[in-house]
Amino acid sequence: MVNVEEIRDYAAGLLERGEVKSVLGFRRGSASAFAEPCTLTEADDAASLVWDPTCLNNLTLYLVKDRKQQAAAKTPDNRPVGIVAKGCDSRAVGVLLQENYFKREDVVVIGVSCEDTGVVDPKKLSDKLKGRTASRVAFDDAGGFVVSIHGSESETVIPAHEILADRCLECRAAAPALNNVVFGNTVEARDFNEPFHAAKEAERISEDERWATWEHHFDRCLRCFACRAVCPMCYCPECVVDSTTFVVTLGTSAEEKANRIRWCERSANTSESAVYHLTRAIHLAGRCIDCGECERVCPVNIPLRLLNTKLEKEAFEMFEYQAGHDIEQASLLSSFRDEDPNSFIR
Amino acid sequence: MEKILRQEKLREWVDTLDDCEVHAPAFADSVWNYAKVEAGTDIDLSHTNTIGSVKSFVFPQREVFFRFEKKDGVPLLTSTLPDPIPTVVFGVRPCDGRGMPRNDTVFNKEFEDPYYWARRDKLTLIGLACNQPHSPNCFCQSVGGSPHSEEGLDILMTDLGDSFHVKGITAKGVEIMERGRDAFDAVSDSDQAEIEKIHKRSRSYPQRPLGDLDAIPEALRENFDSPLWADMAQHCIGCGICTFLCPTCHCFDINDEVISPTTGEGERVRTWDNCQFPDFTMHTSGHNPRGDLGSRLRQRVNHKFLYFVENHNTQQCTGCGRCITECPVGIDIVAVLERVGQS
Amino acid sequence: MTDNIYLPKIGRIVGIDEETQGARAIKTFKVEFPNSDGFEHNCGQCAMLSMFGKGESMISIASSPLVKEYKQFSIMKMGRVTSAFHAAGIGDFIGIRGPYGNQFPLDDWKGRDLVFIGGGVGLAPIWPVIQTAVARREDFGKITVFYGARTSSDIMYEADFEKLKASVEVQLSVDAPEEGWPGYTGFVPANLMDKAPTSDNAIAITCGPPIMIKFVIQNLQALGFADEQIYTTIENKMKCGIGKCGRCNVGKDYVCVKGPVYSWAELKSLPQEY
Repeated sequence: MVNVEEIRDYAAGLLERGEVKSVLGFRRGSASAFAEPCTLTEADDAASLVWDPTCLNNLTLYLVKDRKQQAAAKTPDNRPVGIVAKGCDSRAVGVLLQENYFKREDVVVIGVSCEDTGVVDPKKLSDKLKGRTASRVAFDDAGGFVVSIHGSESETVIPAHEILADRCLECRAAAPALNNVVFGNTVEARDFNEPFHAAKEAERISEDERWATWEHHFDRCLRCFACRAVCPMCYCPECVVDSTTFVVTLGTSAEEKANRIRWCERSANTSESAVYHLTRAIHLAGRCIDCGECERVCPVNIPLRLLNTKLEKEAFEMFEYQAGHDIEQASLLSSFRDEDPNSFIR
Repeated sequence: MEKILRQEKLREWVDTLDDCEVHAPAFADSVWNYAKVEAGTDIDLSHTNTIGSVKSFVFPQREVFFRFEKKDGVPLLTSTLPDPIPTVVFGVRPCDGRGMPRNDTVFNKEFEDPYYWARRDKLTLIGLACNQPHSPNCFCQSVGGSPHSEEGLDILMTDLGDSFHVKGITAKGVEIMERGRDAFDAVSDSDQAEIEKIHKRSRSYPQRPLGDLDAIPEALRENFDSPLWADMAQHCIGCGICTFLCPTCHCFDINDEVISPTTGEGERVRTWDNCQFPDFTMHTSGHNPRGDLGSRLRQRVNHKFLYFVENHNTQQCTGCGRCITECPVGIDIVAVLERVGQS
Repeated sequence: MTDNIYLPKIGRIVGIDEETQGARAIKTFKVEFPNSDGFEHNCGQCAMLSMFGKGESMISIASSPLVKEYKQFSIMKMGRVTSAFHAAGIGDFIGIRGPYGNQFPLDDWKGRDLVFIGGGVGLAPIWPVIQTAVARREDFGKITVFYGARTSSDIMYEADFEKLKASVEVQLSVDAPEEGWPGYTGFVPANLMDKAPTSDNAIAITCGPPIMIKFVIQNLQALGFADEQIYTTIENKMKCGIGKCGRCNVGKDYVCVKGPVYSWAELKSLPQEY
């Protein structure tokens, strides 16, 4: 069991000693049973940190945002930032280190092991509660979840595997190997699904059926860009697929603005949405650590992580590569080995 | 006109609308959303609320304004004004219904938007009262609405258990009810009592409170320059979820989409846009009046609870709670207003 | 069935004048309505100009309402749509929607002195007011036009300024010293202070880069102009031009409808988000 007091003490200590300028963590929110991100700057505020199965967010996103802010600031504050990180989150930090987005000493990873459980999938939880809403979800000591129901005194215990997020069911390393400290025990063998289970299942259906399914999903896409906005690895200031953030300074010439290619229109029709999602997936190939946030935030429940885990499966099977596992390793697409498959060379 | 419709007769009524496109909530891909009802199938009205609001029927995500091409060197524009067949939507929650008159104001004042009205004039909204709040984030009453409000709806249905109370509110609604007249029964006194009891009980459930609505504009005005906004917005990821799902958000973009670079043929298209996107207000020069998260959050909240009030004497929020429930990082408009009110 | 407000009328470019060159080149376009479906406009109003395939841009109508044969637009090359304008030639077709926005209340200013202060391409939105005032010269008191550009080759409407000198006081300036320059050297707000026009019974109308407007207003106030005596026209990113798309929303106003013309008294009470 993870003792949240220890996390609070550690975070408070970092802030008191001035070792970090802020700590990214989780706190109770007002919007739902799910924890929300918080940025602590005072040691006293560490008391608001929580740790429970609703700590879904990948806070690495805010490390990226901070970097961008400091890069644009007149007087940047580049002191280290502390981050409460699950296994998947720490691998996101790992990918950013592999890509030299910042240096190892810029981040203090306050690791938390998911032990033999993980985080809750909000959709599975709401299906399970059949229309009732949860007000609180906590770990029980037996690898399950204790769910309090909104508007009633009752609690119900749900076995973990019934409402665990799909990515937790397939997780290959539920404790952050990259860490400055880790709370909780590392559990090697977790009794859930095999790695890439969801992608393997999805591959079973015929190509035509697969395309029909995805056409259906792309058709439903609202182009809210929440999937991209929440992904720490989508850090490009100017996304190739759409200009909701177009980098323009006083020095940008009219020609540059005029000649900027529109690879993908704003229109939320099937073809443009397909271009958006598939391009994004390809740009994440070998970089996605399966935090599942893209899928979690999608308001219309497009099974986005399938696109990404399919490519990560390819990366693993072809190149024995796992994003973010080894910060000394060069990133997949910026290196090659002699023994890499070369069947495409005729 | 008020009638009773036994649950098993709902299908009979829907079947009389065979010259209309009928939409109703459907649960698919783990989410409730409006779907077209195939002829001869049942309607499911057991939904909480749909993820997308009813505004999509009059203000779709993508609307083609016109096609452009060149004819003998001169631009030829072909307007693509929609000419929809009459559309009937079942299961509209009163919060979404209340959003419609607010959208009507926006798409009418100063200039009448023909694309919106071509769809609006052919749309009949059949509401379904909320016997209990469908989310802990509901606050329709806090913004002057109610779980059985009729505003913006053509018909309001109330679930009485084995039957529905069906009330025609507008001429359009009455006409749609007339079609199904054989399916309806008269309202008895005990029905009437039951309806009143259900409505009264629906109003008694606690909702997210907003306090004195009239005090909010002044509080927002006074706190315009407050550092609170940067603090409350700091985790915003700048996606479009809050605005796209909102029943009354209406910002849009207009772009020319070229179909053939050689002939110059293309379409001018309207798509949803969002004041939370970082470059929404950015000038071509690079100057961005709302370049930081705090000012963008403030813009959204102010637009709904201050500017719209100043212009139209009512809030541009109907308390559906979607923005609160669906925000990926838990930014909560009720909590925001509470903090602003307290400071 | 009302007009489709999103459907542009067709315009034809019948005149192109190169005002300035360089990175932020400005060209002045004269546009006719070949289908005789043109519209009247008032000073200060704008039109949404289309380059089909590129998009639309909201541009001030720079010609006086008294000119019926064409509409004049001065366009700075900034991005996709404006670059397409700069690549266009005489006889090319464009789209026009309008007129949009409010107007300068010229009729309210009868009998008063008018002080115009323009900078760079900001002269274009106030040019129709100047032209109309000059055409109705006897309706107004003293008319002074302050105008400045970075260098003498950046001065717009040069030929027209010569004609203007017959009926108004013209005070031109360039930002930096230039050999052979007979006029004032320095920024426009400084030239204004230097010449110190009286605020008595006067109205000041200014437009230019935001920084210039800021200092011009400060200096006008120092000269005794009340907030109600100072008028400007502001710029915002606009897409629909009809108060619906939300982009130009500032406070309770949609600048494309309630503006772009504002007195400083009105403008200072809006959030400064433009």
